[in-house]
This record gives sequence, C-alpha cells and structure tokens, in this order.
Amino acid sequence: MLRQIRLLTKISLCNLFGFNEFRFSKDEKKKGRYLLLGVLWCFLLILFAGYLAAMCYGLITMQMGEMVPAVITLGISMVTFIFTMMKAGPFLFDRGAYEKQIALPVHTGSIIVSRFLTMYVTDMLFGMVMMAAGMWVYSAMLQPPAAFYLYGILGSILIPLLPLTVASVAGALITGITSRWRGKNMASTILTIGFVCAVVIGNFRISSMRGEEFKEWMGGLAAIMSGQIKSIYPPALWLSEAMVYGQGGRFVLFAAVSAGVFLIFLAVLQRYYARICSLLGVNAAKRDFRMKRLRAGSVMRSMVQRELRHYFSSTIYVTNTLIGEIMMVLVSAAVLFVGKEQVESMIGMPGILEKAAPVLLGMLPAMMPATASAISIEGKQWWLMQTLPVTEKMVLRSKVWTNIVVAFPFYVVSVVLMLIALRPGIAGALGLIIVPMVYIVVSAWAGILLNRRFPVFDWDNEARVVKQSASCLLMSLIGIVMGVVPLVVVCL
Amino acid sequence: MLEIKNMTKTYKGNKPAVEDLSLRVRAGDIYGFIGHNGAGKTTTIKSIVGIHDYEQGEIWIDGMNLKDAPLACKKIMAYLPDNPDLYEYLTGIQYLNFMADIYEVPVQVRQERITREAQEFGIYDALGDLISTYSHGMKQKTALIGALIHQPKLLILDEPFVGLDPEASLILKKKMHTMCEQGGAIFFSTHVLEVAQKLCNRIAVISKGRLIVEGNTEELTRDKSLEELFMEVVGHAQTDQAVDKDIPV
Repeated sequence: MLRQIRLLTKISLCNLFGFNEFRFSKDEKKKGRYLLLGVLWCFLLILFAGYLAAMCYGLITMQMGEMVPAVITLGISMVTFIFTMMKAGPFLFDRGAYEKQIALPVHTGSIIVSRFLTMYVTDMLFGMVMMAAGMWVYSAMLQPPAAFYLYGILGSILIPLLPLTVASVAGALITGITSRWRGKNMASTILTIGFVCAVVIGNFRISSMRGEEFKEWMGGLAAIMSGQIKSIYPPALWLSEAMVYGQGGRFVLFAAVSAGVFLIFLAVLQRYYARICSLLGVNAAKRDFRMKRLRAGSVMRSMVQRELRHYFSSTIYVTNTLIGEIMMVLVSAAVLFVGKEQVESMIGMPGILEKAAPVLLGMLPAMMPATASAISIEGKQWWLMQTLPVTEKMVLRSKVWTNIVVAFPFYVVSVVLMLIALRPGIAGALGLIIVPMVYIVVSAWAGILLNRRFPVFDWDNEARVVKQSASCLLMSLIGIVMGVVPLVVVCL
Repeated sequence: MLEIKNMTKTYKGNKPAVEDLSLRVRAGDIYGFIGHNGAGKTTTIKSIVGIHDYEQGEIWIDGMNLKDAPLACKKIMAYLPDNPDLYEYLTGIQYLNFMADIYEVPVQVRQERITREAQEFGIYDALGDLISTYSHGMKQKTALIGALIHQPKLLILDEPFVGLDPEASLILKKKMHTMCEQGGAIFFSTHVLEVAQKLCNRIAVISKGRLIVEGNTEELTRDKSLEELFMEVVGHAQTDQAVDKDIPV
C-alpha cells in the first residue's frame, strides 16, 4: 500500500504548480509564465514570513517570547484550515481523477491518502517557511536550547496535519451529504460558503476583545494570550510548550492528536469513499425531453447567461471567488448589528469606518474577482469560443459582465446596510454608492486582462486555475494594493 | 470555397508542423485530408478555423481572407473537432439554443432544425439532460447538430466518424452529400481510408507537414486502393525527406 501511495502521490505532485510542464515544455512563453508564477509565490511567502517575523520580534520585545511558537502554530493552522476548506471536498472527491484511478489495482485508502498528501505537501512547505522565519527571530534574540530546534522542525512537519484533516472532514461531510441531491453543486457551494462564514464569524467573535481585555493583553499578560490560544486551538500550546520548555510529553501529545485524528478520518472515509464518488458521478438523466418554444437572445446576453451557468456549476470556483462579496455583506451587517466601534476593534483599525468605509467595502470583492480565472476555467472547452463568430472583446466583456452581475446583489445589500448603519451625509453616501462599484468594475477588468495575459488551459482540477494560477495571485496582490494604498492615504 | 496558399505553421522551438501547404476546396467538394498521426492534419484544421495562428501564407474562405475578416469567415463555416469538449454544465437544448443565438438563427428555424436533427440522430429525448450525462457519441451528435444549426457553407471536420455509431455515421455521410449538392463544401481529416475513398471526390495526403499528393480521388486510385496509394506516397516522401537531410534510410 505504501508503494501505491508513493506512486499515486508522485503522479499527482509531478505537475504541482505546473512544475512538470515547466520542466519539459519547449514553449519559452509558457516557461516564462511558470517562472513568473514561481516568483509570485516566493514573493508572497517572503511577505507572509516577513510579517510573521516582525510579529515575533514584537512579542519578544514585549516580554512574551514564550508565546512565539504558539502564535506561529496558530497562524499556520488557521491559514491552512481556511484555504484547504474551500478546496478539500472537490479535490478529495475529484470525479475525473477517481475514474482514472479506480480502474487500477490500488486500494481506496491509497487514493485517499495520495490526494490528502498532495494537499499536505503544499501546506507543509508553507508551514515550514513560516516556522523557519519565527524560529530564526526567536533563536537570534533568545538563544534557545537544542530541543527548541528539534521540536520546531518536527512540529512544522506535523502542524498542517490536524487543520487539513478537520478541513477535509468538513469537505467530505458537505460532499457526502450533497452527493445524493439533485442540485449537488449548488448545495455543496452553499454549505461550503456557510461553513467558511461560520468559521470567520466565530473567529471574529473570539478575537473581538473588549477594551479592558485589550489593555490587559497589551499590558504583557502572556497568560491571557495563552488562554485565548487555548480556547481557539489547544494543540498550538502543546507544541509551544515542547519547544520553549523542552517538554517531550507535550510534543508526543501534539503528534499523537494530529496523526490520530487523521488516521480515524482515513478509516471512516475509506468505508464511504467509493460510494460518495459513485454518487457524484451519477448525474440525473431523465431522457424525457419535450420541446417548448425556444427563446432567442442577443449574442451578448446569451454569452453572459452561459457564463453564469458555468460559474454556478463549479463549487470550487464560486467558493473561492465569491468570498470577497460575502465578506462585504458580513462586514456591513456587523457594522449595523454589532456596532461601528466593535467592528473597528475586530479588524484592529480604530476610526477606519468613519474615514474609509467605501474603500474597505470595495477592496473585499476586488481581491479575488471571478474574471481572474474566467478564461482559464474554460479549459478544454476554449476551442468553442475560438471558433465561434464572436470577437475577443465580446468574450472579455461577457466575462466582466458576469462578474458584475454576480457581485451586484451583494453590493446592493452591503451598501444599503452600511448607509443605514453609518447614516453619512450626501457626499459620504455618494462615496459609499460609487466607490465599491468602481472597485468591482475595475478589478473585474484587471482580472480578465491578467487572465488573458496568463491563461492556463491544461488542468485536471479547477483548483489549479482558481487557487494556483499566476493571474489569480497577481490579482490578489493588485487587489491588496488597490485597497491598502487608499486606506493608508486616507488614514494618514 | 476554401483556399490555402503556402501556409506555414511552426510551434515554438520546433520544426514546422505544416510547411508551405497549398490546397483548394471548391463548392460541392467532399475533400479528404489524410495523413499519419502527427502529420499536421489537426494543425492545418485548427489554423483554418481560427484556433491557431500561422506565420506564413494565406487562408481564403468563400473569397474572404481569414486574417482580414475572421468573423465573416466563421459565420459561414462550422467546425467539429475529433473529441468535442462541450459545455458540460449546459443541457443539450441549452447548448443548441446558445449556438443558435451566437449564429443569430431565427427562433422558428432553430426550433424546427433542432427537433428534426435531434430526432434523426436519436438524441431528442436526452436534450433536456446535462451534457455531462451524455456518452461520447451523444456529445459528438450534439456538437454536430450545433455545427449545422446555421447551415454553414463550409464544414470542417476532424476525424468525424470516430465514436459515432453505424447509424449516425450513415446519417452524417448522407448529410455531407446533401450539403455538397446544395453548393456547400466539406473538408475533413480521417484515418479511415476506405471511408475517404468512397466518400471523397478529392483527397490530399500530408506527411511530416508537407502536402505530398493532392487530386481527384478516382484519378489517383485508378488501378489501386487508397490504402496502397497512401503507403506508396508516404514511403516515397519519407525517403525523400531523409535523403534531403542526409539521414540513413
């Protein structure tokens, strides 16, 4: 079985981030694109690692150095969980890959473990870089004993295991429940988005400390912080205690829980895996068509209609690109129902809503517009657009329109909620109405132009284009810049 | 109807996939394009339908230059690839209605054409189901109905008979004849030489990107089968190319 796992994982990993294509392609342009993707990933990793190192430095200078490993572990675990949650179900139960592999003489367990490992490897690499950054700052300032390094290195290998398993359990449950339903894609999309929202809201509630708590926390009471982490994610403290105080027992507990939960998940999933995959493969075919009067539409309307059908047919596409619009509504609802000051303390930016609410609303959908992967997501079906009598401009416009149509209801709801909550003057109201829409339109165009420049059509799983493509990464960076620069300017 | 003049298409970093290709398909022609795997058939077809760009030469469709008037050219032709990846998230009828919208086919006409063609190909009952539930053959039939929905003057087909059941193959052959009788033209690639010999009034053989034989099917195969002709001309071409490059044969 180990050999099977190794072979299946190798096949799955060999084109991770397009590495195999980069290695063997003779197309210099394509190689250049992958090189850019690699540079972008490195840049993002350095950005994250730099942020984490600065945070560790801050904690140590505030005499809370013993909390550094716990904060790093919690950070890596949260990022792993949220990002995996949105792809775990579709990736684990990828029907195309399942049909290719199930015909081979391999155990179901090997297929599950190989898919899990594929996700695990990327998360582990991310975790190791983050841990290395934190450990470097810690060791330079506090000169810890050898046990710190030993448990730190072993721990960074194990950290993603638990959040990845929990995210996979959630993904498996959602996919398993919805696999019997007729509208399984839509149901799965709604449940996944609902679950991510619940986690984000729950996290907000935990992290939204009252004023007094915040003062105490800033006062250097590591115990309060430790209590906070314990309430969110106890394994982070176990690893931290092993690294800081050299408690081997704590490390064993951390490793046993991480591996144990994964093994239980594997044992349970093995029993239902084939059934869920088979159910996902069975699409209701009624074969009882009766022709009704067809309706003609303009070329553009027809193209937008097709784009919308495509968009809502893909769970992974919707969950990864609609999250900004949903956050837009959540933030506005929080401002109205929880209160302006409370929301500002949650996001750690006091006074921001008074000064820059329109920018804050607009930057959320701008970070991941659907257009950034709208061309790549066509995959093998792109030949149709190339051969139909439509111009490239029309194709791009139809994709931008689709993005706007999808974002529009969220935009209306969030702007209305924000207007009620903030009760601004005429200028403020105009700003709230115009600025977010400008962000949506500009980011939609930026996304489509980036995807036109960096398209990827040879993919096996939609996650490859929605989560790992150069156009999406670049768009996220541009979205952040589009949001952060005006925020800094306004706040200064 | 279709004229290719000295077309050369090179993939990046490679030798030319198609080199200095010239051929002419007239109205009423069923034109077979024959060659080994990797000979350049699909590259040529993809250049004609606008998927690939080409570095040299010209492609003319019904008197219009493909590079100057791509939309006008696409409006009068239709393309069916060897493995049609259709929009799986649409139902058959949604796909066909989408195609009719793109080609601006009037409602009454599209309704009548879809009903007739779908019944003829035996997929009418499945038109309300998602394309993802279709078999390979059903997808091919759906793609074919979509390609014919605007009654194109020029039909470009890449290995059209692969995956079709015998009944559908017969229907397609009849449609090809009917289309040509009405003044249209068909250009298609195939590996099945018997089909090409029986169906095509003109054929062309391509090897390693170069056209090696082109002409009237009857004249070319007067005293031999198309299979024998193919083996003979491809064998000669390979020897010539090897000699040109000083490679031992």
